[in-house]
Amino acid sequence: MKLTTKRYIVAVLSFLFLAALLLVAYQESKQYRIEEEPGPVITTANKGCVDCHRRDAPALVMEWEHSRHGQFGVGCVDCHAAEKEDVDAWSHEGVYVSALVTPKDCARCHTREHAEFSRSHHAKAGEILASLDNVLAEKVAGMPGNIADAVNGCWQCHGSIVKVKRDEQGAIVRTGKEGKPVIDANTWPNSGMGRLNLDGSKGSCHACHSRHAFQAKLSRSPENCGKCHMGPDHPQIEIYNESKHGIAFYANRDRMALDKEGEWVLGRDYSAAPTCATCHISSYMTPQGISVANSHDVGERISWTLRPVISTKLNLVIYEDGYKEDYPETKPLPKVGDTVQTVEKVIENEKLINHPVPRRVAKIVTWSERRNLMKGVCLNCHNDTYVDNFYRQFDDLVVLYNEKFAKPAQQFMNELLADGVLKPNAPFEHDVQWVFWELWHHEGRRARHGASMMGPDYTHWHGMYEVSKHFYLEFLPAVVRAAEMQGPDLKQKYEQKIEQLLAQDAHIWQKGLSPAEAEALRKMYEERYHQTPGASN
Amino acid sequence: MIPKEQSRKVASLRERMKAMFPFNWELLKHAGAEPVPYHLKKWWFCLGGTALYLFIVQVVTGIALTFYYVPSPDQAYASVAAITRDIRFGWFIRSLHKWSANFMIVAVILHMLRVYFTGAYRHPRQLNWCIGFLLLGTTLTFGFTGYSLVYEQLSFWGATVATNLAAAVPLIGPYLGYFLRGGTEVGENTLTRFFILHIGVLPTVAFILLSLHILLIRLQGVTELQFEGEVVPKEEQYFRFWPDHATTELMIGVLLMYLLTIVALIFPAGLGAPADPTQTPAHIKPEWYFYFNFRLLKLTSLRVSVVLTLGLGSIAFFWPFIEEWLSRRFRMPDAIPVTLGVLAFLSFLVLTIWESFSI
Amino acid sequence: MDHIAGGSLMDETSHTTRREWLASVLMGVGLVASYGVLAVEGLMFLLPKRLKPRTRLLFAGQIDRYKVGGVQGFYDLQGNQILVKRSESGFQAFSSVCPHLGCRVHWEVDKQQFFCPCHRGVFDANGVAISGPPAAAGQRLSQVPLKVDELSGVIYIEVKDAKRKQI
Repeated sequence: MKLTTKRYIVAVLSFLFLAALLLVAYQESKQYRIEEEPGPVITTANKGCVDCHRRDAPALVMEWEHSRHGQFGVGCVDCHAAEKEDVDAWSHEGVYVSALVTPKDCARCHTREHAEFSRSHHAKAGEILASLDNVLAEKVAGMPGNIADAVNGCWQCHGSIVKVKRDEQGAIVRTGKEGKPVIDANTWPNSGMGRLNLDGSKGSCHACHSRHAFQAKLSRSPENCGKCHMGPDHPQIEIYNESKHGIAFYANRDRMALDKEGEWVLGRDYSAAPTCATCHISSYMTPQGISVANSHDVGERISWTLRPVISTKLNLVIYEDGYKEDYPETKPLPKVGDTVQTVEKVIENEKLINHPVPRRVAKIVTWSERRNLMKGVCLNCHNDTYVDNFYRQFDDLVVLYNEKFAKPAQQFMNELLADGVLKPNAPFEHDVQWVFWELWHHEGRRARHGASMMGPDYTHWHGMYEVSKHFYLEFLPAVVRAAEMQGPDLKQKYEQKIEQLLAQDAHIWQKGLSPAEAEALRKMYEERYHQTPGASN
Repeated sequence: MIPKEQSRKVASLRERMKAMFPFNWELLKHAGAEPVPYHLKKWWFCLGGTALYLFIVQVVTGIALTFYYVPSPDQAYASVAAITRDIRFGWFIRSLHKWSANFMIVAVILHMLRVYFTGAYRHPRQLNWCIGFLLLGTTLTFGFTGYSLVYEQLSFWGATVATNLAAAVPLIGPYLGYFLRGGTEVGENTLTRFFILHIGVLPTVAFILLSLHILLIRLQGVTELQFEGEVVPKEEQYFRFWPDHATTELMIGVLLMYLLTIVALIFPAGLGAPADPTQTPAHIKPEWYFYFNFRLLKLTSLRVSVVLTLGLGSIAFFWPFIEEWLSRRFRMPDAIPVTLGVLAFLSFLVLTIWESFSI
Repeated sequence: MDHIAGGSLMDETSHTTRREWLASVLMGVGLVASYGVLAVEGLMFLLPKRLKPRTRLLFAGQIDRYKVGGVQGFYDLQGNQILVKRSESGFQAFSSVCPHLGCRVHWEVDKQQFFCPCHRGVFDANGVAISGPPAAAGQRLSQVPLKVDELSGVIYIEVKDAKRKQI
């Protein structure tokens, strides 16, 4: 081989080599260097706490270190510091602390969220103590000296009234060498949404923002709401799981940007599915391009109340000091500028009392304006005909429940009360009261919630089917039996009332199907299953 | 002694430099003009140079790696991981080092085969054969110690097996094992020793052996070879070292760098699980160049395989002398050493491939 | 084929053809380029990347809690106090370490200035020394970068991290 040829070969090879080295450089540029995640910032103020509690409760400290608070140096003292005068404060290693961190403490930094939350229905969750629900838990299930059903059950979602133990003189009972106040064990631990705190604030931020990691991805996930919003009387999480929204979420969890720091906007940061937070709290894109800021007032976008026996639309009255009140449609609205005697529930001497406060009306928000806020979310994925028709379907279901079952049933109960059959101080004496209770509080709510969040099975089989079945087969007979207790005359009176009711068009099915309908029915089963339901062959 | 007057004279720069470093540069020119026998134009004969070039690559990449490697049991693996993942081009330098090692061992073995089958070990080149054999041993030891430094599971347990094998050598075994391990078990001392062997002792030994090896070649000349029936015109009997043969070497060098880079890109060096002295992995295997030994060990016993390896190795080491002694006593046609060589290599191949297929 | 007589060196004719010259040039360029790139990559390997010191954002209070003309103090990760001041135009953060001899300055609200008690150094609202030894040396309080998060209503100061990692 000639020298020149060799030199050409060297040239070619070296250019190949060069090309390979450039590939190496390219590969190097793609290398992902995993930089150590910066650790938490432990400021001098918090160092003492962390060092000791890292030994006593290591996982707790690790969770805090993992949190955003930890990354920015917001530590133990910043949340747990208390004033000497606070009811639950004591001097711990030279600092006044309180174990309970209330929304007032969080509001030291998160003022807006606290302002929104404290006027929301979540903050009022603890005000159920005068409800039938509470009667069931404390009195029917519980007994004097042991109300564990309320403590472990209702209050863990709704929130307890936190109390410290006091002696006969009313002084706080203290324990240990630090003189730590003794908290009534029935009331703490409790992370209920509407917990009534010793400092007068309402609620518990960590009901949704679990401590001590306070992860956004936890708060944004539907399972978080599902802790409380579930069950026979308001199965929201079950309905969500059934619905297409839920299916879309679970299939696309990794595309939901749940971990995103800062804003989390539908239509900008994620698009795969809505979660509970999406529709009820979080920001979303609008055609104007702006995003509607998230609001911790979970009722802002709600147009119906699906809770009571008979559902009504909800208007909103906002007072000059920011206090908000839901006004059912049936309650006449004041005018802007009017002074209204509002009634606020506050804690006084560890008891929930009604506190009248006169306030001036600043703004009225109608139910349709509230609904438009919700529609803004829907319109991110669905077109307006779709959305409007959905609301029509939903409205119709609520009206169906109201008109066909709820109103007549309520009417009967009112009349039984008026006739002295039922006593106002014995809400669960007769089985008609239990049947009625479940009719509106359980299956009635399930039907309405099912329709509100597109859970067809809950709307029908767990909902209206049970409403109808229990209404006809249990409620109406129970009414008669209750009336019978007062004698045969009253029984006859109610039997007549029932007859009149059932004569209405709404209940025309009671008269039976037409011959054509009956034949169609028989034929359907014959053709499909080669069986005739109810026949002997 | 330079007279005072002369030193004050303005001597030319060249003369001054020559006085400072009185080396006869003419010698180099003469060396470069060394005529190279024509058969070196055959590619088969470039294997020695290939091994040398790869050794240089190993020295350069090895020194670079030593900037970041930490030879302590608790930091070794992490430092290798840092090189592989964090240091810029660390993965590349490490992969070059790994592949160059493998290529070098292949080149050395093929070079040895070439030398054997061209009979270039015969008188007066017996010494060079022995030195070459020692170089083979050095290269294999380089490979073994180098791999142990990574301190993966296989590094650790491979070192355990190998030092146990060393300890099974007759007579000096226990001392050898103890020396290699720096104790009764593979531990902290072992890693440090292997490190010093790998970057200090073995390079020095290799350097000395290589110098002797090349010196002998230069002094004795490359074995001139002519195949039966081959006719070479007189003017083509020899060709220039510089620039012709040197350019050939350059071609090979650049080709090797190119191949190494490609292989480093496609099969970069990876990392297994870190060494765990408390847990032996289900399947231990040495590096491929020890498969033959490992398979032998599995077929026989510890003692037998060690004795066999040492025995056969010694025969191979002293082969030039043995062959000479045998050919003086018996008529030995070329077919015999060729057959023996073929048999030896085949057995090595068979054992290696066999082991590569078993788990 | 090289027509060389056995053993002796015979120079090639001084007239090198263009083809031969091109081969040599290409070879030279190729070798220099390829090995050069290799050397650069090797050098990059040997030189650990110089990282800018990692900084951390520390929570430094809420916007609403600052009075205009008021100062709040926060500690950085080396234990030095940083003074965060709110003025009409916005927020500024200064190290409280006096550039003169390292004493700690404090903010005097009524005089709207920083004062160092050791040698009576005075700094104006922008941290520039206006009286005392620091003024004579033309010194100023070193500023600490800060970040104002309008959305959350929170201030962060940017301080050097306690640890840094070399890559």
